[in-house]
Amino acid sequence: MTSWDQRISSFFSSPSQFLSCTTSETFLAELLDRLRDDKTNDNKKILLLSVLSEHPTVLCPTTSAGEETAQELVSILNFTSLKSVSLKCHLILAITNILICTFGLSTRTKVAEEYLNYLYMLIQDTNDNTGGPSLHSVRAIACECLREMETCHPGLLSQKLEALCHLKQQETTVLHQSYSMLYTQALKNAIRILSQQQDVDNGKLRNVLAGNEGFAWKSANTAKSVLSVNMAQVPQLPMTLDFKELKSIMTLLLEESYLMTSPSQAALLRGLVEMVAMVPGISPAIFKSQLLRLFGTTEVELMHATLFMKGMFTDSLFTAEDEHFLLKRLVGMAQHPLLRIPEKIFYMDCILHFPENRPISSSGEECLPVLVTPQLTLSLFPTVFNDSTTMLCRFNLLCLVHLEANEEEDGQGLGYLIDHVMALLKTVDNQGGRETLVTAFRAIFIFLLHFNHMENLAEKLIHRLGELYSRNCHLAPNLINLTDRIQERFDETLWSVRFLKALQRCIVEMPPSQLTLQSLGWHLKILARVAQESQIAQRSTICFLLDILVNSNLCERRSWNVGTAILTVCRNLLQHPTLNQMFIQLADLLQHMSRQYEDTDIQDHAQFYYTLLTNLSWEKLGGILAKTPVGGQTKVRSLSSLSSITASEELSSCLTILQAESCVLRLVKINNNAFEDAAPTAEAQTETDIYEVYREQFKTPGFASEVTLRYHLTHVTTTDPRFDRIFTICLHFEVDTSHYERVNDIYVPCLFRDRKPRDVSVTLKPIHPYPTTLRASAIFTKEDGQSWHTHLPDVHVSFPEIFLPVPLPLGVPLQQKEDVFDRIWDAASSGEPSASETSLFCFKTGIDTLSDLIKKNFQGYIISQELNKWKVLFFLPPRFHVLLAIREGEDAVQMSIATDNWELLPHVNSYLQNITAHCSSTS
Amino acid sequence: MSIRALWVLTHEKGESVKVQFSRRYPSVEFRAKTFAGAHHVSVPEDCQIAHLLLSELGLADPDKPYIAARDDCSHQQRSPALELRVGSSGERTLWPVLTIVQGGLILACVPLTEVPPDPRPSLPSLASVSQGLALLSSLQGFLCGTGGKTPEPDVLVSRLATLPSVLMQICPLGTPLDTLPQSGMLSAALAPGPGGAQKQPAWKTGVHRGRAVVSVALTEMVKSMQYGNQSKQDLWDVHGTVTCKCEVEGVLPNVTVTLTLPPNGSPLQDILVHPCVTSLDSSILTASSVEGNDGSAFSGPYKFPFSPPLEPFRLCSYTSQVPVPPILGSYHLKSQDNHLKLSVVLKLHESVRNSFEFCEAHLPFFNRNLMGNVDIKVTSGQLEVSKEKNLLVWFLGQKFPKSREVSLEGAIHFSGHLAGPSDPMCTDLTAYVKLYFRVPDLTLSGCCVDQHSVQVYSSAKPRIITTRELVSSEYYIWNSTGDAPVCSGPVIL
Repeated sequence: MTSWDQRISSFFSSPSQFLSCTTSETFLAELLDRLRDDKTNDNKKILLLSVLSEHPTVLCPTTSAGEETAQELVSILNFTSLKSVSLKCHLILAITNILICTFGLSTRTKVAEEYLNYLYMLIQDTNDNTGGPSLHSVRAIACECLREMETCHPGLLSQKLEALCHLKQQETTVLHQSYSMLYTQALKNAIRILSQQQDVDNGKLRNVLAGNEGFAWKSANTAKSVLSVNMAQVPQLPMTLDFKELKSIMTLLLEESYLMTSPSQAALLRGLVEMVAMVPGISPAIFKSQLLRLFGTTEVELMHATLFMKGMFTDSLFTAEDEHFLLKRLVGMAQHPLLRIPEKIFYMDCILHFPENRPISSSGEECLPVLVTPQLTLSLFPTVFNDSTTMLCRFNLLCLVHLEANEEEDGQGLGYLIDHVMALLKTVDNQGGRETLVTAFRAIFIFLLHFNHMENLAEKLIHRLGELYSRNCHLAPNLINLTDRIQERFDETLWSVRFLKALQRCIVEMPPSQLTLQSLGWHLKILARVAQESQIAQRSTICFLLDILVNSNLCERRSWNVGTAILTVCRNLLQHPTLNQMFIQLADLLQHMSRQYEDTDIQDHAQFYYTLLTNLSWEKLGGILAKTPVGGQTKVRSLSSLSSITASEELSSCLTILQAESCVLRLVKINNNAFEDAAPTAEAQTETDIYEVYREQFKTPGFASEVTLRYHLTHVTTTDPRFDRIFTICLHFEVDTSHYERVNDIYVPCLFRDRKPRDVSVTLKPIHPYPTTLRASAIFTKEDGQSWHTHLPDVHVSFPEIFLPVPLPLGVPLQQKEDVFDRIWDAASSGEPSASETSLFCFKTGIDTLSDLIKKNFQGYIISQELNKWKVLFFLPPRFHVLLAIREGEDAVQMSIATDNWELLPHVNSYLQNITAHCSSTS
Repeated sequence: MSIRALWVLTHEKGESVKVQFSRRYPSVEFRAKTFAGAHHVSVPEDCQIAHLLLSELGLADPDKPYIAARDDCSHQQRSPALELRVGSSGERTLWPVLTIVQGGLILACVPLTEVPPDPRPSLPSLASVSQGLALLSSLQGFLCGTGGKTPEPDVLVSRLATLPSVLMQICPLGTPLDTLPQSGMLSAALAPGPGGAQKQPAWKTGVHRGRAVVSVALTEMVKSMQYGNQSKQDLWDVHGTVTCKCEVEGVLPNVTVTLTLPPNGSPLQDILVHPCVTSLDSSILTASSVEGNDGSAFSGPYKFPFSPPLEPFRLCSYTSQVPVPPILGSYHLKSQDNHLKLSVVLKLHESVRNSFEFCEAHLPFFNRNLMGNVDIKVTSGQLEVSKEKNLLVWFLGQKFPKSREVSLEGAIHFSGHLAGPSDPMCTDLTAYVKLYFRVPDLTLSGCCVDQHSVQVYSSAKPRIITTRELVSSEYYIWNSTGDAPVCSGPVIL
């Protein structure tokens, strides 16, 4: 049994996998058992609780399961000793999570109601007056749990505002922060609910603020509507109300915010901003006193809250001067040497989305704020010393800035940006590593996204990239990716086409000395991509390919990969609209490959393409070669996939046979209910010598040379759902070829786990009929077309399994059978054939047991049966016999054995020992 | 303003990835589901998260030169938020996922999105993002300390072991209540708050008892890029931090620290202050490096009234523009056959105190064979060739000579057949000298904290300690005959 630590860590790693071996009910029951157990120590209990705390819905999938579990935990909590403070906290946390997540709170279950009262009771003990400092952390957790409940079910505490306000005032320990946050959350939600109501008057508002009643259980729907209210359309209370009390409450909260930690301060500020937005009678000016402190803050969450305030109140709180100052501040922070990188990048995002007092576009679409000018962003120019993310962020921002400003200025900034791209490419050229490479291409993408319309810059980039490629052809995948993405973004831009054209020229004009087998692979990838462009003439590509095939030893090097890559280019060329103009050259190329390329597969495909080219019109070629749509659920194996031999990942997965880690299938022997003795016919046969006839039969080749064993083919018991339905199963057997002929493969069309097993007949052709073991394996196909290989458990073929009844013609009378027996016996005893031998096997047994034993083991092989005497004949293919003459003596049973192959005797012996194991025997 | 899940992962150059810690907040997930409705994408299981993060961070499969899913150029890592492609075919995306990567350590969290997820909202419109960033930053400080070094595995393990109980207090239900304590800054045993009428600040868990001591340390870092080239502008900039440790009695004691500049000193810019500063004068924040200042800008004194937390903290930080770099250098390289001729001259500015704690010049030679014969003379200090044979270290000691100028001249033969390490920024004649130095009791901006200007309003008279120092950071002198990378934008527009 694995330890709880291991089980819990494997649960956390993947709850779904963990529960595939057990059920959530079982696991939950085990957990609760251990939690109730007094012998479990607190630390272990806390570990167990973490499962419930973090994955409540996995273990309690229904509300009722959640309710029961919560009830259990509450009773455990009640019995937990006062000293186990930490355990208590974890229990409270787990119960809260369960009740919230399993809708125990929204459906107002009894346990939720009682629990809420319990939590509320806990927080009454302000300043730990009665419970003492030991309960301080329990109270802290209770506060947080109540706040989380209020957050998930807004309005729950809306009738308790007065009481909460009082508690907040009372508390002077560090927990006053928790009380303040709880109160603020409840107040905000209460105001929001109020603002959505009709006919709100002073009385209603006063009632809400002075509320000291029970919990407000609302329908889940109201709660949901309050929870997901969009701050873009804030509901407002009527202007005419008296907000004096509310204002003083808010002012006090704001004044005391200094005593809070930065994250809580930020949350409080946001809460207050939302409230002021809902209350038109309170001016945003109440925040004025806090602004300077906030403008100067190092803390990202406080700066963010300030920006939220800015977006909410715009010019009713921030003058144009303030606004400019704040933006300048943001730019300064986006590059401040003492801030962390993620924060600086976040500030750059904040600059892009700066909430201006007078934005140009009111819609949500992304556009640069008017105030962000080239002058302002001067310090944000990217450099090669920046980390990738910072660099790309700055680059993107600066591109946007200079795109806007380009008409007015002299282009110096833009010039710098292109210089920066060139500097990046230079580091790539200096073997700058993968990250530099990827970053450089991302920067180029951003640049082209904004400036692809500027001919001279785009051209400069093409030139530089081409130069880079000629020295670093391993960049081919990146370059192809860049052209693809640019083409996707801009239908009309010709940048990608121009760039591919340049790459094509670069490759076809490359001096032969620079071509290696490796670089050729990359060039062919590029040329294949170039061949997809209808606007690019392809004649030079074909000439290049023909040239390298004819004038190098490429054909003799028989590289399948290179051959395939060339054929991929050809395949794209076959679909090119200018096919007619290059018909002859392409035909030459394909013919050359089909004759000269020393790889049969490549030859065949070249021949196939040649046939397609010379027999089909371009339109039909397009239809046949068009790519199979990818991503469809069923991947149709169309002609196109046959005609494509691109070594794509998809195809290689079809070609690959995957190896199953463990056995998937097995063979189970079908127990032959011992076949009945052939019904003897009463009439006497014509008076021929039956023994001679019998002997004569063996002259026919293959006569009675096979043993057929029957098995069920089934799945192994361990389940792997991937293999539940498998098809075209090919069973392959390996045998000891010194004793047996090879066994033919067996094909089974399909096998489903939920259906009957398949019967399989394995035919063995013994050379020497000894016991043996078959090693079996299978190749099969899954529903998704993947092929798999698996080994089967070995199949043991025991000695008696090779026994056959003597192959006499049907309907031979018993008498004649006995005659045959005697003739073989006599021959064997007289040493005919020479390998013949006789032997004796004795054992003790009672008479009943003997007849039982004979019936059980020799049924079907018995030739004659008299009182105390039996004759048994086993035939062993291809031509051997084992004869038993059994006589029951006074104190032992004698088995006289005769055989025409003495080498069988040890097996006969062990077989007899085996079946008479319970009797004492002497041989 | 909450987070849905938090992870700490370790990896070794993209391999042997391990989820060292994970925490899920189901009630926040419950809220996320309510907000997003049909668009909700749940947080993937821990066993999947590692690969998703590594792939998105570009760290997965480090041996493979190109993987479309990892290296696509249109896939922009332009913000601190990643997008994880979850689900079997990656058609669903989990966004935003905030990350901090430090060495082999990855910290990640998923902040709650409280607005409709479609169309995708901007990052600044999500309240939880900054909370998530702050939490990750403080988690980084908790695990790694403030030095910015990735801790040793055993140290990391012991810090991770205490993380659950710390999070129980800091973030029990996914809403951060505080930042995590920074390792190395954990305060000693404290007396609990007095429990009087005065509310105890939430960021101060107790009060100090004992002798009152206030230490104020001012550290300035100087960065420089010197090209020795007409077409490229030399750069140097300074940034400073004031760190305080205040052991003063009382729940909310008042302390004021004042920074002063010498006459004609250029104003302190981009000042950022700690949240414990109670009030700020607007003039303090006016100077900014973003736009040029006129001479009339406020130049002190800078008063910072605050009530100190118990642990050491960064009271404020600033940047400054100083007229000259402390050390002006020139570097000339000439390549001949398989040896390099080099000459370096370093001049200490007359305004700088000639008393270093240490001063070293490093001359790396990357993308070359290993160093063979080194034939170099220096006018001062000692030379040493590193064990790896690709770095020359010039120890200048505590003092420059009277002339305040030192030089190095000679040639290096690169004879070895073994190739040394590579660096794309430093190839052929693109090479640099990097300076490392520390000067006690000096600031370049001239900024100082006068011991008598520190005011503490408390019954006992405290001991006050003030220090200051200048430290180099990224101090490069590029070879003037090579093609050095530019590190700033256009200067005039």
